[in-house]
Amino acid sequence: MSEETKTGSCLCGSVQYEMTGSTRDVIACHCTACRKQSGHYWTSISVWNEQFRFTEDKGLKWYHASDHSRRGFCSNCGSFIVFETLGSGKISPSAGSVNGSTGLKTIGHIYTATAADYYDLEDDLPSYDESDDGAFPMPPKR
Amino acid sequence: MGEEKHTGSCLCGAVAFTVDGPLAPLTACHCNACRKQSGHVWPCTTIWRENFSFQEDRGLKWYHASKESRRGFCGDCGSLLFFDTPGSDGITISGGSFNEPTGQKIGMNIWIDNKGDYYDLETDIPRYHDHEAHDLPMPPKHDPS
Repeated sequence: MSEETKTGSCLCGSVQYEMTGSTRDVIACHCTACRKQSGHYWTSISVWNEQFRFTEDKGLKWYHASDHSRRGFCSNCGSFIVFETLGSGKISPSAGSVNGSTGLKTIGHIYTATAADYYDLEDDLPSYDESDDGAFPMPPKR
Repeated sequence: MGEEKHTGSCLCGAVAFTVDGPLAPLTACHCNACRKQSGHVWPCTTIWRENFSFQEDRGLKWYHASKESRRGFCGDCGSLLFFDTPGSDGITISGGSFNEPTGQKIGMNIWIDNKGDYYDLETDIPRYHDHEAHDLPMPPKHDPS
């Protein structure tokens, strides 16, 4: 069947991307770094690198929060767009950056041990104190 | 009596701030701009400008999303920190930027007609279709004297 293409962008349009094929559904991350950077817990999908490309990157800036990962944001408007674990072969765009209807659903929570005091989790989705340890797998590669 | 004070920062520390006095309940905004910029929903709290001070602002950048308002973030690490309408009495700060405890909870959801399709908003917390439904709550003014 037709390969679905989804697009996404930051708030000002200085970073845009497109992705084709299946993506992993949305995971909410409650780690301190995601909360500090996004302003709340952070929701993201995940897609194999081969199925993702930036169509505009004039605003793209990377912040290396650790030796093994980097966080991409728009240096013009400050939107937190993507998280990437170096060498993983995949990239995780924020759910909020996807244009229009995503057709996706939230499937769980990770790093809930570091959730903030100002909210409660109000759903019954699977949640993990730290990483999901592979409980939320990627779709097959195209 | 202890002096209530709250601190916060971006992820890398190039922007850091202090708030004197307590915080008001947070408001979770589901508008498209907040969702694009934060990557999800943006919960924030507004404090009196006179009770706010920067401890560090070398990374601070402003994005003017409209004529009236600007959105503050760290140009080094990309953390979303502030929503500000210059000339108003308050400045609005992201929930995630606070060092804990905040001592507060989310008190309402706004712009829910613009919420993303990938999450449910099944909640007992009040929901409003647009921001006119309610003024954002403010904490009591803090008098340091």
